[in-house]
Amino acid sequence: MPEIAGNEHSAARERLAARQAELLNALLAKGPAPAGFDEQRLDVERRALLSKRRGIVRMLGPAVADELGDRFRPLFDAYAVEHPRHAGSRAREDAAAFAEWCRASGELSVNRKARWKFWQSN
Amino acid sequence: MVTPMTAQGTQLSPVEVGYLSAGPGRAAETALARLLDAGLVRVSRDGRVSAVHQHGHRGNTPVEARMHKSVQTPVSFNKVVKTAAYSTEMQALHRQLLNDNLMRKARPRAQAWWVFLGAGVLLTVLGFLLPGFFIGAVAFLLIGFWARGSSPVTREGKAVLKNVTASDRVLAVALYGFAGNVASQKVGDLFELSQSVVKMIPLKRKKKSAGSSCGSGCGSSSCGSSSSSCSSSSGSSCSSGSSCGGGGGGS
Amino acid sequence: MAGITDLGVGIGWRSEIDLTVERLPGVDFVEIVAENIHLGNLRGDQRSHLPESVRLLLERGIPVLPHAVSLSLGGADQVDLDRVRHLGEVAEAVGAPMVSDHVCFVRAGGLESGHLMPVPRTKDALDVLVENVKLAQRNLPVPLALENVAALLEWPDGELSEGQFLAELVERTDCWLLVDVANLYANARNIGTDPERFLDEIPLERLAYVHVAGGEQHGDIYHDTHAHAVLPEVLGVLDELCSRVKPPGVLLERDDNYPSDTEIASELAAIRAVVDKHRA
Repeated sequence: MPEIAGNEHSAARERLAARQAELLNALLAKGPAPAGFDEQRLDVERRALLSKRRGIVRMLGPAVADELGDRFRPLFDAYAVEHPRHAGSRAREDAAAFAEWCRASGELSVNRKARWKFWQSN
Repeated sequence: MVTPMTAQGTQLSPVEVGYLSAGPGRAAETALARLLDAGLVRVSRDGRVSAVHQHGHRGNTPVEARMHKSVQTPVSFNKVVKTAAYSTEMQALHRQLLNDNLMRKARPRAQAWWVFLGAGVLLTVLGFLLPGFFIGAVAFLLIGFWARGSSPVTREGKAVLKNVTASDRVLAVALYGFAGNVASQKVGDLFELSQSVVKMIPLKRKKKSAGSSCGSGCGSSSCGSSSSSCSSSSGSSCSSGSSCGGGGGGS
Repeated sequence: MAGITDLGVGIGWRSEIDLTVERLPGVDFVEIVAENIHLGNLRGDQRSHLPESVRLLLERGIPVLPHAVSLSLGGADQVDLDRVRHLGEVAEAVGAPMVSDHVCFVRAGGLESGHLMPVPRTKDALDVLVENVKLAQRNLPVPLALENVAALLEWPDGELSEGQFLAELVERTDCWLLVDVANLYANARNIGTDPERFLDEIPLERLAYVHVAGGEQHGDIYHDTHAHAVLPEVLGVLDELCSRVKPPGVLLERDDNYPSDTEIASELAAIRAVVDKHRA
C-alpha cells in the first residue's frame, strides 16, 4: 500500500489504516467498539449511516421498496449489517444485491411480471 | 377550473373526464397534470417525476394522492402514469363511473367482427336475388353488430364529455393527453414538458373511447420491467461513494 | 495560482431539480457532483457527454464547479488516481477554475462507509492527508479546495483543533478551503467545535467559497441532512464568516426532499441578504 514516502510515513499510514478500519468495522459490520469512542455516538453514527444507505437503496429501487412495504426497513437493516458495502462498490450494486437477497430469502416475488399480468387482466 | 356536471348534478373531476375520454391511462395523465398544475410535483429534463415537498398538500382525489405518494422518490414519467392507471384507486374511480351510469361494462370487440358484417352485407345482396337469404343477412348483421362490441361510455357519459372543452391545461390533458394538440399547440408545451418527456408514454392505441384497457396507452408489456426508475439516468446523486449530506434521521 | 474570482451565490445542481436550477433567479454559479457525471472515452468534445441542463448553464456563462465525494483523501490508502483523473476530466469538460472534495475518508479496511467520515486530528492523519492531497494536486489540472465535514462522533485523541488541522493542511499543501458553515454549525452542536475559534484559526485568504445547507435537530443531535430548510443559526455562522472576510462565493446544497421553486429561491435570497449586508 504505502509507496510514496519513507518509513515514517508508511508507519503513519499503517497506524491510521488500522484505526479507520476498526472504526468502520464497528459502524458497518458489527465489529467491536474501538477504544476511546463514546459508545452512544457510535450508535448514532451507526444508525445515521444505515439510514442514509437505506434511503439510497430505496431511491434506486423504489419498486422493491414498494413491494416490500412495511417489511422494507427491517429487511434492509438485517441485510445491511450482514452485507456491508465493499470498498469501491457502487450504491447501485448495493440496491441490486439487496433485491437479490430478498428474492433468495423468498421475501420478494421472483417473477414480477406475473403481478402485472394480474393487474392487466382487470 | 370548470368541469362539467352530470345529469344528477355531480361535478366531474378532471381525472374522471380523462377516464371518460380515453380510459385509465388518460385519467392517470390527467392526475399527473393536476399535480403539476398545483406545483405538487416537478419533472426533470430526463423525465423523472418527483414530489415537491410542501406541508399538507397531497392532491385532491385518491388517484392524485396515490400518485403524489408514489413519487416521493423520483419515478420516470411513463411509469408514474402506468402505475396510477393500474392502481386500486383508479379501479375505484372506474366503479364510481359505472355506478353513475357514465360508463358501462363494455363488450369487447371481437377481432373478426367485420367478417360477420361482411357476410351480412353479402347475404343482403344475395337476398335481392333470393329473399330467403334476408333471414341469414339479418342474423349475421346482428351478430356483426354484437361482435363489434360496445362503447364503455354510456350515452349520458358521452353527453357529459361533449360539453367539456379544453378550457384549461388540465382539461386539455384530460381530453387530448400530454402528447395531443389543442388549438394547434402541443399540450405538453402548456406544462413546459419537452417532447422527449411526453413521448415516454407509449401511444399504443388511438382509441377515442374508453375501454377497460388503457386508452392512451399504458398497457405495454414493459409493465413488468423491474428496472428502477433511475437506472437509465446518469444523474442520481448517489452513483458511487456518498453525497455530502444525508445520514440524517437516524432514529 | 488563478484563485477564485467573484462567484456570487449559487446552488448545487442536481438532476432532479435541473429545470428548477435553470429557472431560478439569482443563480450565479453551480456545483456538480463529479461522481455523477459520466464522460465518454472519446477524445473529442467532452461537453457533449454532460447533462443537457449543465451544457445549457455553461452556454449562459454560469460557472460550473465539480465537487467530489469519493477521493477519500483522509483515508489511509493511497489516493485512487482513477478517481482523481475523472475529477480532472470533469473539470476540463466544464472549464472549471477549481475542484473540491472533503477532509474525510469514505473507505477503510475493505469497507465503504457511504458517507463522509471525519479523520482523527492527529499528526499521523495529517501526514497521510497531506501526502494524499499533494498526489491529487499533481494529477489535477486546476486547484483543489477541501471542505470541512460534519461529524457525529469525535476521535478520542485529537491533537489539534479542527481549525488548526485545516490551517496546517493549507500551509503544507497550498490547497484552498471550502468552508461549509452548516457542517461547522453541526460540529458546534454535536462535538463542541467553537465556530468563532475555527474561523479565527483557518487562513481566510485561502477561502475558495462557502457551502450552506439545511438539516434537522433530532434529540440532542443535529443531522446535516441537506433535505431540510436552512436554519437561521446556520445563516448566523455565515454572517460571522462574512464579518471577517468577503467570501468569493456562497452555495446552497440541497440533495433531497426538494421544496418548491419559490422556497428554494427564498433560501438563496436569504443567503444573498447575509452576504450583501457586509458588502455595504
